[in-house]
Amino acid sequence: MALLSVRDLVVRFRTHDGTVHAVNGVSFDLDAGETLGLVGESGCGKSVTNLAVMRLLPAPAGRIEGGQVLFEGEDLLRLDEAGMRALRGKEIAMIFQDPMTSLNPVLTIQEQMVETIKAHKKVTNKQARAQAVDLLTMVGMSEPDRRLRDYPHQFSGGMRQRVMIAMALALQPKLLIADEPTTALDVTIQAQVLELLSRLTSEHKTAVILITHDLGVVAGLTRRINVMYAGFVVESANTADLFAGPAHPYTVGLLHSMPRLDAQPGEPLIPIEGTPPDLRHAPVGCPFAPRCAWRVESCWREMPPLEPVRETAEVQTTGPLATHRSACWNRPTAEEAIAGRPLRVDFVPAPEPVEVSR
Amino acid sequence: MTFSATPEAGPVNPQATTPAEAANRPLMQIDGLKMYFEITSGILMSRHVGDVRAVDGVSLSIRKGETVGLVGESGCGKSTVGRTILRLYRPTAGRIVFDGQDITRVEGSSLRAVRRRMQMIFQDPYASLNPRMTAAGIISEPLEIHGVSSGRERRDRVRDLLATVGLDPDYGDRYPHEFSGGQRQRIGVARALALHPDLIVADEPISALDVSIQAQIINLLEHLQDEFGLTYLFIAHDLSVVRHISDRIAVMYLGKIVEVTGSRDLYERPLHPYSVALLSAVPIPDPAVETRRRRIILTGDVPSPSNPPSGCRFHTRCWLRERLGNPERCVEEEPVLREMATGHQVACHFAEEVDGTAEQVQVTGRPGRGAPVGSAGAAAGVAGGVVAPTAPEGPQPRPRPRG
Repeated sequence: MALLSVRDLVVRFRTHDGTVHAVNGVSFDLDAGETLGLVGESGCGKSVTNLAVMRLLPAPAGRIEGGQVLFEGEDLLRLDEAGMRALRGKEIAMIFQDPMTSLNPVLTIQEQMVETIKAHKKVTNKQARAQAVDLLTMVGMSEPDRRLRDYPHQFSGGMRQRVMIAMALALQPKLLIADEPTTALDVTIQAQVLELLSRLTSEHKTAVILITHDLGVVAGLTRRINVMYAGFVVESANTADLFAGPAHPYTVGLLHSMPRLDAQPGEPLIPIEGTPPDLRHAPVGCPFAPRCAWRVESCWREMPPLEPVRETAEVQTTGPLATHRSACWNRPTAEEAIAGRPLRVDFVPAPEPVEVSR
Repeated sequence: MTFSATPEAGPVNPQATTPAEAANRPLMQIDGLKMYFEITSGILMSRHVGDVRAVDGVSLSIRKGETVGLVGESGCGKSTVGRTILRLYRPTAGRIVFDGQDITRVEGSSLRAVRRRMQMIFQDPYASLNPRMTAAGIISEPLEIHGVSSGRERRDRVRDLLATVGLDPDYGDRYPHEFSGGQRQRIGVARALALHPDLIVADEPISALDVSIQAQIINLLEHLQDEFGLTYLFIAHDLSVVRHISDRIAVMYLGKIVEVTGSRDLYERPLHPYSVALLSAVPIPDPAVETRRRRIILTGDVPSPSNPPSGCRFHTRCWLRERLGNPERCVEEEPVLREMATGHQVACHFAEEVDGTAEQVQVTGRPGRGAPVGSAGAAAGVAGGVVAPTAPEGPQPRPRPRG
């Protein structure tokens, strides 16, 4: 049984401007100790998916309108608030992009760490403090005894993120959700934090969902990747398979639109034309169709299912042998994935049908 | 690229030089530029208690038509360099020469005249456009300020500019909130182009944009450079992007340039320990490459620019210094930029030791292509010790982006 199993999750936000279709039927599984990358641009639903898993969607606008979130077989969406509170931090922990806003500025680090530990464990203040010292030592903080008395503003961004990691791992959760944990940090500090995160989670065999827009970060850190676009998982594969043979036009586009440090100078970038869709409109067809160079007529009408790229007897959703799947009616071939554009002679992207109003 | 290249001692009239001289002259030449921001204390009686040395002795030249990238981490002073050379600040010391004219101290109308030729593109396309002005109003404002054209002619120019940056000319009546992030940045680019500038300082122009939109703006900037012969100072923290767009790259650390070289050379043969660490920290979207590479994990944080370390500013975090048994020289003596190969300058006492280290090879994924720098240069310790047979990289024609 998978540690976490998200089934057909649908999340919508009711706003003054209309209903935002943030997550449109997302399914994925995660085994214990597995690392999964969730990649996509802002607004693709990657953060909302995980806030829904944690049942932390902003109320009353954000609503889970369908699906299941099974954690060790138990549907979290049916759990009451007390049950959820016992789970958060202890079983599933989360770290956020901006460590400044996720730490309380008027409490010392000690007060915050002791509070977290005592909320879930029957220990004395003294024991909790000793554990906090151990945790800060574990994340490489020098003079942890003294620094516990400091306030968050006395720490640099990288140090604050270390404190967050220490707090997240304090109760040895089975699952850690890291939402853009290094986006606010400089690249040399990012390297420190990623190294720490990867060492600690593999030592403790913690399962990790790493949410990021940076394909470079997931390439080195996760074993499996889900690419999201407009509230759908559009491609799912092992990290190696995904980079070796991307099978969705959006993934191909992402890889070709970022300059690589090791690219040959002068290699042109191939941008993805257009802009991400307005999620206030209910999706009709594939949401990537208007920007896609590979689109065919059916893309405008029907969202393709997430299906194996190669024929297979049994679809594996987790583990090192997870099946490479992509949601596309007209998958790029291996040559096209390398070229970054369709190579078929006389291929013209299907024009938008007039009768379909998007 | 040598820093003594500008013979002029003071303000000169550009018309006085011959066309050949003008062609060889860098468009922008800065020498020993310092920009300190005062730290004051006290409410009623404000006392000067120190300085944030944002830029502390930077020399750099930018040739016409080239793109120079300025990289470094937050707080290294790269944005301050950009703003100071546009004279948005009054520099504390040093000299800024733009197209043969010393603009370090110019004020008033002569400063305005120079500014016509230098424009800026900002990071945040949300904050850098006035929400109460239409796109056309924003783009025509520079024309208005400098009294260029009017009426129908100005309206046509604005429509031209919108089309040039890939926007529908009819969108001029819309307000910034009606555009997406990428479209707003296009408006920012159109505003910068309005006065036909020679130099554009682009300060993190794509870092606020979504990944899929970034390439659109990079390609637009490259295309405009080809079309209008623009010169760019491209400031960014993302080395992959800087390397893609730049002909030459200057790496900054705590207010100083630590290495300057051609963008190909910086990746293939970095010679400053900080550059090597910075390159190693950049993730590459390829798991096959990532599993091979080992990162250099720098310890600690960047020190404060109000109280920088003595000697070499990087010595508190330097992996090479540790390897060499922590030589005192790094603490006592400030390294100057010295020429290690043609057009490749490094400010490190022990740059020769970087060449061929496992760290350098790890980063580049292959042994350095230049000839090894001999110990003769190290012993002499002076500029231009040994010249490796790598050609200096100047502005090169770039393949046009497709589509």
